[in-house]
Amino acid sequence: MEPPIIYSKAEFIETDTGNKVSRRATIAGPQNIILGGKTIISSGAIIRGDLRRTGPGHAVVISLGRYCLVGEGCVMRPPYKTYRGNFNYYPMKIGDHVHIGANSVVEAATIGNHVEIGKNCVIGKFTIIKDCAKIADNTIVPPNTVIPALALFSGSPGRFVEDLPESTQEMVEAQTKQYYTRFQPSER
Amino acid sequence: MAPSVHYHCPCLSNSTTPPPPHLPSSSYSFHPLHTLFFCEECDAVRCNRCVSVEVSTYYCPNCLFEVPSASVRAEKNRFYLFVHKMPCNVLTRRRCARNCFMCPNCRNTLSVVPSDPPESGDGRLAVPISTVGEPPFFLYCNHCRWDSAEVGITFEKPTGLAAQLQKFEDSAPDSLEFERLKDHFEPFIRASSLSSSTTSHAVAHPSSAAHSHHLHSNSITAAASAALARDIPGVGKYNPLARSTSSRGIGVSGRDRSVNKDEMAEYRSRVEIAKASVVGTGGGDADVEFMRHLENVSEVASLDQRWENSWVTSLQTSDLKPLRIPLHSKRSKRCPACTHILIKPEQKAQSVRYKIKLVAANYLPAITVALPHAQKALTEAAKRTLGKSTSAVEDDKTPATGMVAGKTYPFHLALTNPLYDPIQVRLSPQRLNISTAPSKDGPPEKARRPPFVISLPTSTFPIAAFAEAWEYDDDEDMFGVEEGDDFGIRGGAREKDGRSTRSKTVGVLEKRANVTIVGGEVVIGKEAQGNVKFNTLVSYTYRSDDPAPSESNDGDGPSIPQGNKPPEVKTFAFYTVIDLGPIIPREDSKSVPDV
Ligand SMILES: [Zn+2]
Ligand SMILES: [Zn+2]
Ligand SMILES: [Zn+2]
Ligand SMILES: [Zn+2]
Repeated sequence: MEPPIIYSKAEFIETDTGNKVSRRATIAGPQNIILGGKTIISSGAIIRGDLRRTGPGHAVVISLGRYCLVGEGCVMRPPYKTYRGNFNYYPMKIGDHVHIGANSVVEAATIGNHVEIGKNCVIGKFTIIKDCAKIADNTIVPPNTVIPALALFSGSPGRFVEDLPESTQEMVEAQTKQYYTRFQPSER
Repeated sequence: MAPSVHYHCPCLSNSTTPPPPHLPSSSYSFHPLHTLFFCEECDAVRCNRCVSVEVSTYYCPNCLFEVPSASVRAEKNRFYLFVHKMPCNVLTRRRCARNCFMCPNCRNTLSVVPSDPPESGDGRLAVPISTVGEPPFFLYCNHCRWDSAEVGITFEKPTGLAAQLQKFEDSAPDSLEFERLKDHFEPFIRASSLSSSTTSHAVAHPSSAAHSHHLHSNSITAAASAALARDIPGVGKYNPLARSTSSRGIGVSGRDRSVNKDEMAEYRSRVEIAKASVVGTGGGDADVEFMRHLENVSEVASLDQRWENSWVTSLQTSDLKPLRIPLHSKRSKRCPACTHILIKPEQKAQSVRYKIKLVAANYLPAITVALPHAQKALTEAAKRTLGKSTSAVEDDKTPATGMVAGKTYPFHLALTNPLYDPIQVRLSPQRLNISTAPSKDGPPEKARRPPFVISLPTSTFPIAAFAEAWEYDDDEDMFGVEEGDDFGIRGGAREKDGRSTRSKTVGVLEKRANVTIVGGEVVIGKEAQGNVKFNTLVSYTYRSDDPAPSESNDGDGPSIPQGNKPPEVKTFAFYTVIDLGPIIPREDSKSVPDV
């Protein structure tokens, strides 16, 4: 029913697993980034896989699951802290069916499955977002916040607003799958 | 706003017809499909306004620690007993007893920080996190930078803060007063819960758990109302749970038998309120003095900041204390008519699974509505600005999506069948008899003329059965891009609906998988105002595979055996309200005097 979302075929690279990554996105340290498949990285997004824990070898810095969307102009940056005098970055793990609206900045530690983050949000360092939670547009989530499952948060600082319906998981799953299906290249 | 379809819940009302769409009550009776439940026993839709709710688990939204509801009740839970007539309120009033505190200034979660000298220079992080540092420790808000040292609260060690703060809290005047109140009422509550026929119980509540809960709160309410009746002559027994009994109270003397039964000793408060105002709680001279020397508005705590307190508190921002975080709850939901469980969550607090989940979306066809002319305008706009930033698109897409008075527009309804059986659907729009712009002064015949006329296919149409294979998962091509812009019209020509004049717009337009798209049309009057919003009765029949009609309720869906048809065909009907959006008044109609 919903009309397709048309993108320029030349702009996006499609991977074997169906990820669609804009050439206009900045993917720093791609070897440290995992995309689960059918995940869309929009134009202008910045993903900082280069900000990794000090030490030898390579490590996963940012992982995203399936059917995720990193909106236009989003910044995904791993959280950091100084612990016992040592400054370090910590990995960011994001589940399946997670949509992040345009121009949001995310420094969360973990984001569960079926999570919606609106436009122009700031998700502070080490934030933990549980399954099926939703962050309204323009919400500022301070560092170290825990957002429980099926909760709607909004405001600055982001506060609990209400519990989301029992069918949220199915709704979000259908929406994210549909979004991926609607996301189609132009013929040009 | 995008066009919407909402579903009616009668909420145990005897009237089967929903309120007219333009009345405010409409929005209370109609809900998005995904928020509704379905009782198989009653064969009826239920909503959050009518289901009965029970708490299965409490948990702290910050540390996610689960608190069994039994232990929550056993805990001495301060001042919240008296808001008992509002169950939801009670749920959010239980507090985390661990190390979780909210900033009294902005409600952010507070962190425990040591008195280490803050790191400086790099400007990266003013306060280190989880550093084991120097005592004393204090609570710090990393959003507004409030800290508890400002109000003289520090801790010797970073653990067990709740216990350390308990001393403060227990000696607070509100806490002491509550203890006193509890001591005062306890004998009465014990006595009244012993006798089974304590209070008149006009609200029939079938669930036993809810019943005992009501009994409990009833006795408290009764105690409160008895006290009220004694203190204020002429005010009768106030019982919010039984309106029928309250009517006899007003004006009737307080010497009612039931009042005598509820009689108890007079309560004397710990602190006399007249004296309290002297020390700066609750608008006395001390507060006036404070306000007189005010230099900055932020010195006064906002109402929002003082709201959580159950007691009159100081007006001063500098007196705000850290707040314990209210617990959240997981809730089971029951059918209000037959008490069958509709929702039963898994016990684990952060699980999003359910042991029982009877949601209406699994029984009723999902209906979405779209305006092709608006969609086309959006798609065109998107194509024009392809590759540009989103903000550039926003500006030039709005004009073409609206509906102008005096014009005719097609609309599409997409119906998705959730059942494993094919269904036959019939749509019957409710006639709209009242103008959306009711006017007292205008000529009556004009006011009576409907502002718009809806055409929908009148005959029944099929929707194929749901099959797992049709889930999108690995079938992206299902979204036929080749349908292009003209798919509505082309489809309309394919299917004839008996109405030859409208065959291009009104009728079944397309069938794919378990979705059928039907076209409708709205003719908007020249003087029309408001929204194109109308009620539509959706009825559907389906063949049940169940051979025995008596055991028809095992999961396939609603079932009303129809008298004159074979027993395996069942019908279910429900109302929806379809809102196509606002009508844009015509330019020339502005000369007509407006109401
Ligand atoms: Zn209801
Ligand atoms: Zn807690
Ligand atoms: Zn704060
Ligand atoms: Zn029922």
